[in-house]
Amino acid sequence: MPDALSNIALNHYLLAGALLFVIGLIGFVARRNLIVMFLCTEMMFQGIVVTMVAFSRYHMNFDGQVFVIFVLTIAAAEAALALGLVVLLFRRKHTLDAEAWSTMKG
Amino acid sequence: MDIAFYIASVLGALGVYLMMPAAGPKPKKVGALLALAAGGGLLLFLLRYAEADDRPSLYFYIFALIAVASAVRVITHPRPVYSALFFVMVVLAASGLFLVLEAEFMAFAMIIIYAGAILVTYLFVIMLATLPQAEGQAEQAPEYDRVAREPLSAVLVGFALLAVLCHVVFDNRNELQPNPAAAAQSKLQFAVESIPGRIVPVLVKAEALDASAAARGAGLAMTFTEPNVIEAKWGERSETITLTDELKAQLQTKVANIDRVGWALFDGHALGIELAGVILLLSMVGAIVIGRKRVFVDDGEPLEPDLKMMHHDEPLSDVSVGEQV
Repeated sequence: MPDALSNIALNHYLLAGALLFVIGLIGFVARRNLIVMFLCTEMMFQGIVVTMVAFSRYHMNFDGQVFVIFVLTIAAAEAALALGLVVLLFRRKHTLDAEAWSTMKG
Repeated sequence: MDIAFYIASVLGALGVYLMMPAAGPKPKKVGALLALAAGGGLLLFLLRYAEADDRPSLYFYIFALIAVASAVRVITHPRPVYSALFFVMVVLAASGLFLVLEAEFMAFAMIIIYAGAILVTYLFVIMLATLPQAEGQAEQAPEYDRVAREPLSAVLVGFALLAVLCHVVFDNRNELQPNPAAAAQSKLQFAVESIPGRIVPVLVKAEALDASAAARGAGLAMTFTEPNVIEAKWGERSETITLTDELKAQLQTKVANIDRVGWALFDGHALGIELAGVILLLSMVGAIVIGRKRVFVDDGEPLEPDLKMMHHDEPLSDVSVGEQV
């Protein structure tokens, strides 16, 4: 039987997951292209997924991996809807700049 | 907390800031070097943090390095197509991490769904939403790709969050305990109690179980009564099996990662699957509705000839927002 992860090995994976999440967060805040912003949310998902699989291994509880399946579902649904919206917005103003829609912040 | 970690964080923040697309000339090569140094610092920190016996396998370091380096390129590359391709690298490296964690199903599902389906959608949209270049004009990315918005505060917020997260994780290493109830169910116990149909042929072949049990299918139940003793019940009959070490090893090979994930998914989260199906259906309907909407350009100017293609070659003056095709 493969052993469960030790605390120290778990922390390695948590660091990798946190790095992916944080880099995605930076990208989401700093980039102005709507498509790249959504790409960065997907990267934050990746960080979460790495964390969840590592915890699933640590506790030998496979619910963590089941949640990854649900995250994949949500990511697919989000990509379909968000990209549809991006195409719609691009048709209106011919730009992908998020700042072009800053009047919507009210 | 090791000082190497904080130094690496600061170096990484500076490196990512310098690599961000910006208007003026910025020393991107220096930024890349600083980010590389930060990666080295983190590696040094991890090596100093863990004793040789506690370290994960070498493949963890390789895949994590590829994932993080590609992630930095995703957010710093001025061209969205390259960002998407680097994101494929991130997904592949994360799948490698899952393989190291022995989560094979997740690794391949990730590659098929993310790299195969979602990223292709992104690439389609990137190509749909690119303004045509004028003839003879030098190829150049649009301004919103070349200049980042508030890169300094974004990087500061991001790396402050990273430092706090890692401080909590790495300084409280003794407070986290594995869930004993979950860890107690070993692979063997799972095989015996959850998927008896799979292991019955092994037991019958080893003459540990009566052949008539094999025909019972779902009517067969097996439980551990003692660490090495299984009680099998089918119909009116019951039998006690004592496991040898050889038999144990044989039974364990019958359990794969997909067995346990599938069991956890369908045994404990049946409602979740139904809801996921509803969400996917809703998003599909929503995407179709959004895609069918007709829009007109807000400044009322006529469109470029090649942009009219997107509006189905029809005059735009009498089309109002939200009207269906």
